[in-house]
Amino acid sequence: MKEEQAFTKLIKQNGGIIYKITRLYTDDTESQKDLYQEIVYQLWKGFKTFRGEAKITTWMYRIALNTALLHLKRKKRSGYKVSLDAVVLKQEDYDPLFEERLKILYSKIKDLGDVDRGIIFLFLEGKKYKEIAKITGLSTNNVGTRMARIKERLRTQINKN
Amino acid sequence: MELEEMQTTWSQLSDQLEHQKKLTNTLIMEMTKQRYRSKIGILSRYEGLGAVICFAAAILLMLQFQKLDTWYLMASGVFTVGYIILLPVAVLRSINAMKSIDLINNTYKDTLIAYAKKQKQFLRTQRIGIYLNFILLAVSLPVVVKVFKGDDIFVTNTELLYGYIPFMVIFLVLFSKWGYTKYRNVTDSASEILKDLEDGSRQI
Repeated sequence: MKEEQAFTKLIKQNGGIIYKITRLYTDDTESQKDLYQEIVYQLWKGFKTFRGEAKITTWMYRIALNTALLHLKRKKRSGYKVSLDAVVLKQEDYDPLFEERLKILYSKIKDLGDVDRGIIFLFLEGKKYKEIAKITGLSTNNVGTRMARIKERLRTQINKN
Repeated sequence: MELEEMQTTWSQLSDQLEHQKKLTNTLIMEMTKQRYRSKIGILSRYEGLGAVICFAAAILLMLQFQKLDTWYLMASGVFTVGYIILLPVAVLRSINAMKSIDLINNTYKDTLIAYAKKQKQFLRTQRIGIYLNFILLAVSLPVVVKVFKGDDIFVTNTELLYGYIPFMVIFLVLFSKWGYTKYRNVTDSASEILKDLEDGSRQI
């Protein structure tokens, strides 16, 4: 019971992280819901054995990103779904300008390869290269190199437009 | 959109989500139950159905095995039954291996590498299957004719062999080409991932 309470507290506090990941790794609402549940399920599985060697958010980002990555690869899914429509997957408060910016942002990130997509997400989440390296398993230098490449790519796209 | 603008939009999104915390404890725990089964993608559904058909055919052939009364029919029967049991098992195992990747302890990089490698392994199994299908094509016909019609094709229906084999070869070549291209696309992306991670490591 205590374990369940701690877990639900964690998900409530960090539901936004899961939402953002599901938005970046899926193309439609059905898949997004599916992925959301899968991430919560995997987190619960891991929660029972989590011993606190890493920061809880580092651990959470890692599992959520791994799950999203495999979900992206497997794509078509079906099965029982918990209804999330009324809660966390509710569209952000509608503001056409902001929506437009979000759409561009998502599409820019989705254009990137699997590795870079994870890196840019963590960067936007405000993570330092060292923590990104810890979550992704890449070296800090490699994260830096990739970030420089991503920035360059974004700049080139702007110049083209 | 430059990186700075992306960061601004992202933190605005994070703020909005912060004010949307409406998940209930019940809903969260509901999501942790195995009732929601993360099933099997398109590949394993096709392969799963194929395996069931193969196993049913194998049982049927085994029940009629005494009808195979010459050494070559028996040898063909053993090959056919063995093939239609072992190949689906191998394919299902390699699909299962893809699903057994450790999402909890792996890093993102480990997960990508593990998935890409297992995908390649899966394609290897499929490729072996494609080559073996050509042998099965020749070997299974006498068995099927003997079991279901009671004729030894090598004695009574040799003309059937001349008509059937070229027709089936053409069909199999086209079918294998289609199937292989489909799987090839999947595995090419796996190779790209591995190469990308390799290039990244070299830059350090």
